[in-house]
Amino acid sequence: MSGPAPMVEVRGVRKSFGGVEVLHGIDLTVAAGEVTVILGPSGSGKSTLLRAINHLERPDAGLVRVDGALMGLRRVGGRLHELRERAVLRQRARIGFVFQNFHLFPHLTALENVAEAPVGALRRPRARARREAAALLDRVGLGDRLDAYPRQLSGGQQQRVAIARALALSPRVLLFDEPTSALDPELVGEVLTVIRDLARGGTTMLVVTHEMGFAREIADTVVFMDQGRIVEQGPPDAVLDRPRHPRTRAFLAQVR
Amino acid sequence: MSSAPPAAPLPAQHAPLNDDFAELATLPVVPARHYGRWLAGALVVVLTAQFLHGLATNPGWDWPTFFDYLLAESVLKAVWLTIQLTFYGTALGFTLGVLLAVMRLSRSPVLRAVAWTYVWAFRSIPLIVQLLFWFNLAYLYRELGLGIPFGPVFWTFETMHLVGPLAAAVIGLALHQAAYAAEIVRGGIIAVDSGQREAAAALGLPKARQLRRIVLPQAMRGILPNAANEIISLFKGTSIVSVMALGELFYQVQVIYGRNGRVVPLLMVATVWYIVLTTVLTVVQHAVERRFARGAEREPTPGPFRRAREALQRPPWAARLARRGQAPPGAAPEAPGTPEARAGGAR
Repeated sequence: MSGPAPMVEVRGVRKSFGGVEVLHGIDLTVAAGEVTVILGPSGSGKSTLLRAINHLERPDAGLVRVDGALMGLRRVGGRLHELRERAVLRQRARIGFVFQNFHLFPHLTALENVAEAPVGALRRPRARARREAAALLDRVGLGDRLDAYPRQLSGGQQQRVAIARALALSPRVLLFDEPTSALDPELVGEVLTVIRDLARGGTTMLVVTHEMGFAREIADTVVFMDQGRIVEQGPPDAVLDRPRHPRTRAFLAQVR
Repeated sequence: MSSAPPAAPLPAQHAPLNDDFAELATLPVVPARHYGRWLAGALVVVLTAQFLHGLATNPGWDWPTFFDYLLAESVLKAVWLTIQLTFYGTALGFTLGVLLAVMRLSRSPVLRAVAWTYVWAFRSIPLIVQLLFWFNLAYLYRELGLGIPFGPVFWTFETMHLVGPLAAAVIGLALHQAAYAAEIVRGGIIAVDSGQREAAAALGLPKARQLRRIVLPQAMRGILPNAANEIISLFKGTSIVSVMALGELFYQVQVIYGRNGRVVPLLMVATVWYIVLTTVLTVVQHAVERRFARGAEREPTPGPFRRAREALQRPPWAARLARRGQAPPGAAPEAPGTPEARAGGAR
């Protein structure tokens, strides 16, 4: 199928920590505007894959291309040159990342958290960045909490600020690393609503999550990972209702 | 049922229990007496009074001489020099300290090793020895030059003129201070959650901005109390500079009592100045710490002035007096004996 152009391409990515290989050569393609949900037991390498895509972890081998640009590398004639930190940081500014534990900056207000990257990484004028940050916070339902510090917000509110912070860079792709796993059950809904709206708006997303119902609802593609490999992938109803691989079946039986 | 007397139908069932509580609730509560605490308090008050009485009456303190010199021009000049030494020592020391801390945390093994060696060396050499080295620099290097390393030299200076006693003192204090500052700053930086750096990196913030805007402001909370300690100890440590015959506070006081023999009152002059300036530094520390505590607590802590005003408006002993003077309440069961009433009074 010759659908839309690929936004994220991962080829043969390997990563080891302390001699233990946690990604054994991952191949994955995400089309523009598509939502891919990654499932799998803990320790299967889901988070590492996500972090390898924006080069928070440099892969030991393999290539990642986001929106046509090779991550962390530059082709010069017949060779690939490793990019310096500064250039990688610039590439990262086009990829939004939402952490499981939010990682908001506790000494900055919600507004300052969101306006920080546009000013610091994209050199936007401060006044404009603050205006846009306020609009983004309004969009995630926090227009009345602009001057609150993260510790004055609930977990769900903090994660929504974190999503607004990721959106402030107008990223080409959004990566979510278990965005609701650190939240109390009654706060999960408000965060999922925001992510759902973004998915409907046509943002390209990779989401690691354990929320099965949510995965089924928003995913165009579900990827199941186990022990550092992609075991199975396909449309949600195929993978979730008629899993072919025994390990997928075992996992789904457990989480239900 | 209908024949039962209407007066007390329900209480009759729980009579023993209920009557007991109803009566207890009317009794006044006598606060516990802490005889040991009173005795210890009285003892301390007596000893303090004795000490103060001695200060006032013992002629050895020689207060007239003390007041003659407290604001004398020579003493004020010396105080000013002490402040300058502290300021330059702190400013240069902490600037170099931040640089060394960042070097020790860098990925370059060369920078790491150099920073480590610096801290090792300057923590090993006693400050007084180091100061004397700088003072005698001209003995080692008669001239200092600026040029290409191992190549031609373009400018030369007479060491004696370039590094006078004041410069030697500032250099010595700053280099010494930098070694300690480096460790304090490094401690503050590594105490910041690694997720903060990661989030900043994920947003693509340039390295310098990650440090300046995200990591250091959070590290400051851990750095400040230790840094204040260091600055105060440097401030009093400037008295070591007196070995270089530099007219800072302690040296000046020594000169004066060497002349007139009034040792004790002049030491008191120095003491009072050190106390006054340390107090100023403590107040500044408090204000700076408040500034960097933004967002650290859910409820912002009120400032010192507001706290003082509130404490004066309802001091703890006022609440106790009020409770003591309270008439034993009638049948109101929730008044005196309930835990919240007691705790409320103590707050």
